[in-house]
Amino acid sequence: MEIINKKILRHLAELSKIELIEDGEEKLLDDLRKILEYFEELKKIDTIDIEPIAGGADLINIYREDRELLDELYKKQEKLIEAFPERGGDFLKVPPVFQ
Amino acid sequence: MSFLENLTIKKFHQGLIGREFSAVEVAKDFFSHIKEKDDKINAYLTFTKDMALETAIAVDAELDAGGNIGILAGTPLAIKDNILIENVVCMAASKILENYKSSYDATVVKRLKKAEAVFLGKTNMDEFAMGSSTENSAFKKTRNPYDIERVPGGSSGGSAAAVAVDMAIGALGSDTGGSIRQPANFCGVVGLKPTYGAVSRFGLIAMASSLDQIGPIAKTVEDAAIIFTEISGRDEFDSTSIDIDYKEDVLNPDFESTKNLKIGLPKEYFIDGIDKYISSAIGEVIQSLKSMGFEFREISLPHTKHALSCYYIIMTAEVSANLARFDGIRYSRLQNLISSASRRMTDEIQNLKNIYFKQRSDGFGEEAKRRIILGNFVLSSGYYDAYYSKAQKVRRLIKQDFNEAFKEVDIILTPVSPTPAFKIGEKIDDPLSMYLSDIFTIPVNLAGLPAISIPVKKTNGLPVGFQLIGKPFREADILGVGRYYEKNVNII
Repeated sequence: MEIINKKILRHLAELSKIELIEDGEEKLLDDLRKILEYFEELKKIDTIDIEPIAGGADLINIYREDRELLDELYKKQEKLIEAFPERGGDFLKVPPVFQ
Repeated sequence: MSFLENLTIKKFHQGLIGREFSAVEVAKDFFSHIKEKDDKINAYLTFTKDMALETAIAVDAELDAGGNIGILAGTPLAIKDNILIENVVCMAASKILENYKSSYDATVVKRLKKAEAVFLGKTNMDEFAMGSSTENSAFKKTRNPYDIERVPGGSSGGSAAAVAVDMAIGALGSDTGGSIRQPANFCGVVGLKPTYGAVSRFGLIAMASSLDQIGPIAKTVEDAAIIFTEISGRDEFDSTSIDIDYKEDVLNPDFESTKNLKIGLPKEYFIDGIDKYISSAIGEVIQSLKSMGFEFREISLPHTKHALSCYYIIMTAEVSANLARFDGIRYSRLQNLISSASRRMTDEIQNLKNIYFKQRSDGFGEEAKRRIILGNFVLSSGYYDAYYSKAQKVRRLIKQDFNEAFKEVDIILTPVSPTPAFKIGEKIDDPLSMYLSDIFTIPVNLAGLPAISIPVKKTNGLPVGFQLIGKPFREADILGVGRYYEKNVNII
């Protein structure tokens, strides 16, 4: 069974906002095919009744008071904004999304 | 260069407080040594000389005034390029970040600054820490100091190579699937990957958030312990960081109780296909530890062979989410498209979507693109259950294997990689074979455990290390056994 093909790859590239280079497409598809074929071995493992785990450490959810935790960092906001190519006040100025 | 060659953090500190040399002198020595050596090795991407000298001057002034200084004060360290130092360019070795100047300090950097460590510069790595050879850097290829035709390992290859040839006393790296331990192994230095949650990830450019940890690379286990205690502990800015004080346990191990720790050898790690050079080195380590009185037991981690698939599904899924933030506009890259002289948009980039496409396609390297696309695939509707959800279930089984094993033993000993450092170019065109070089380090990240790579003594030729894996938050155990080995192996 074919796991991935050109059509799926192009769709994924679109979602990823990555342009595929004409002559790199075949190689990428081939690499992905090999990797996905390798993943097939997972199907053999019995995982009935096994709950998925979200991370390596058994961390519990942490709640905290809704206060300005990052006030020290907010002072550094300006530095991040300075890195914008164009700004309008404290906002990032970009070309229109819809035309 | 014999002075820098034998310089550990401890020796440096003693010499400094004994006024045998000043912090400024040593910092300058390091920069001239780097100038001489790094043309060939390519370990560094950015230098922070002004900042380094400023700190060194301050440390010398404190000593002049008769003050007490901390153990890391004045110590020249290298920082991996995915860790933020305020006002210093931080690229994660990616073109998409080539103009990004950090707007704040990572928590680990803040802590090292408080300890008055001297930062020499930022080290080369695989782009966004994605790779096992540092060949995926967008800027340069770091070479293995033991054989410049070979890779230093990765992704923290610059940090490991720098420490190996005395271009820093110690360094910080990050480890998502082996990125501290594997290059330490290839370069003959010590690399510690702490327990998930032991060290704050705030200010680390994220690759896979459930797996990433920052840790030290150093010449000795003791030095690694010193850096680790300085950077570990709870941080308000990383909700996964844990409030734990390691100091006493880690810095002053009680070797009498260390000797009672039982060491497990997982049979799944001693398989055919391991390079003979590696298996004989590991055999030597086991013999040394046995003759020091350590008790060994064979254990089983039955799901080991599934770790690689499991890891590459979970990691790429997290990569695709974490790298979505790089749109080529924030973090300063747009000026590459629009020259500052003329702000007129060209047709090509008239709308936002086209900018994203253009910037991400030009800005990311092959491996980053491959992982983003693969991550989007395993998370897609229709594939999610078969890949991502399945992998998270297998991850639990892998973790359970370790939990079971740790009922019988305190520490697990394994090889770090199946082969010593490979040739530059050998695996770069075959991603799967590159991924396979991490099979012994990956399970540790999936289970969130601490592990250390320690060089095997008395080996000629390419360096080889062994890995000690500990129970969660028991860095003290693996560091203790490591130090015991280091202390005793030469005299046996």
